[in-house]
Amino acid sequence: MAVPIQQKSTGARALQAWFNPLKRSAGFLAFVLMRVTGIGLVIYLLLHMVVIGNLLRGPEGWDALVATMKSPAVLVLDVILIAGILIHMLNGIRVTIIGLGFGTSSHKGIFWTLMAVAALLLAYSGWLVFTK
Amino acid sequence: MNQHGRFGPTRPITLKILRYKPGFIDPPRYDTFQVQADPLMTVLDALEEIKATADSTLLYRHSCHHASCGTCGMKVNGREQLACVARLVDEGTDEVVVEPLGSAPLVADLVVDMTPFALHMAPSGMALVRDSEFMPEAERPAGVERYTRYEDCIECNICLSACPVANTNPGFIGPAGLAAAYRALVTGERPAAEVFAYVDHDDGVWRCHSAMECSAVCPSDVQPGHKIMALRRELVAYKVKRFFKRG
Amino acid sequence: MRTASIEEKRRSGVWVWQAITGVLLVILLSLHMIVHHFVVEGGLRTYQQVLDYVGNPLVVAVEILFLVTVTYHAMLGVRAILFDLNLSESQKALVTRVLTVLGVVVVAWGVFLALALFRAANA
Repeated sequence: MAVPIQQKSTGARALQAWFNPLKRSAGFLAFVLMRVTGIGLVIYLLLHMVVIGNLLRGPEGWDALVATMKSPAVLVLDVILIAGILIHMLNGIRVTIIGLGFGTSSHKGIFWTLMAVAALLLAYSGWLVFTK
Repeated sequence: MNQHGRFGPTRPITLKILRYKPGFIDPPRYDTFQVQADPLMTVLDALEEIKATADSTLLYRHSCHHASCGTCGMKVNGREQLACVARLVDEGTDEVVVEPLGSAPLVADLVVDMTPFALHMAPSGMALVRDSEFMPEAERPAGVERYTRYEDCIECNICLSACPVANTNPGFIGPAGLAAAYRALVTGERPAAEVFAYVDHDDGVWRCHSAMECSAVCPSDVQPGHKIMALRRELVAYKVKRFFKRG
Repeated sequence: MRTASIEEKRRSGVWVWQAITGVLLVILLSLHMIVHHFVVEGGLRTYQQVLDYVGNPLVVAVEILFLVTVTYHAMLGVRAILFDLNLSESQKALVTRVLTVLGVVVVAWGVFLALALFRAANA
């Protein structure tokens, strides 16, 4: 009893494999996180370099800009940035260690441990960002 | 409406199967079929039943039915498995999606072209043999010098399908090919310099980003991801040694 | 083992550099974050605070080292992602060239900025 359903293209699904950790295991999630945070951090680096260029505009220009950076919306972005840095940094330690062939058999444990550290540091940084 | 099958109560499971036949079913689409699955019914059992009773044009590859030939690799609910040992009820879903492997050109329905896989395996000289790990005390018939055992790798393409990099970059040697190269290195089958020359480039051992999904899905416990990491360790050590010798 | 077709491809130890700069960044970025945001109460905020900080030559040196390291690491990362896309050898060469230029521009801009602020601080 063959029942054809809707037509669905299978093309261009390869790229989706970079960003879809569903049905995959811890290492794959680490890969996706590394890629997403990496791309985000490169964009941030470029933006950051442009933003700090405003220092050339002297005290008035800079201090006015910094004032706008204290809005809660920007602080939330700060926390997202810190999360990206922590995930990328700690995951990078995992990639470096196992990428050189050490601790490969416990790579999942290493990943979850480092992500737990990231969560703790993020909670602490978040608290600092919103209270200091 | 549970009935009783050969191996216990059955339940209806819908298989949603990717169909593709160049020029006929083109672009690809999904067809659904319903089977009564008993606890032991595998995806391959279901495909054979569908082919026999519902749609004889369904195409899939298989051979041994017991996970040793590596022919029936496919995606079952989005995860690569050997259809011959993937039990339908173990999926835990009423609908089971069956799709061809990734990282290989689609030929038709669930059949992919294994040529790229073979081309990445060939340079390492597979299939290798290694000393038997079993029954050293076993008596050897006259004329048999030693027992050997084939490599674990059953060349099913499942690791490449699960690899995020191999999906977008067919030039990447890939998990199976790199694991084979590592075996060629540690067994001494190939000179180290030759193995390293083969893997030390952008589309070789350095293309891997340690997602380790190849190791997670490998149905034969080859753990290709672990082998790639080990191969890198050997390569880095080799380079460091060579650097200090020269300097 | 056939290696003839591979021999044309460049040997690549770039991953090792990615790892080395990564490890350096764990130190440098932590330093950058802690110094900028946690040493001064409330973090470096005002123009004057920034200037006082950048007026120290050691700070300028460390910041430039950080910038070079982070930019190199970032460009290698982008390169690694793009190289996953089955590029031809000429496309790979183009990617490397474009990213090299981008990296040099970013570093040059950062060095110019740091030196300008250093001069302003010590004027």
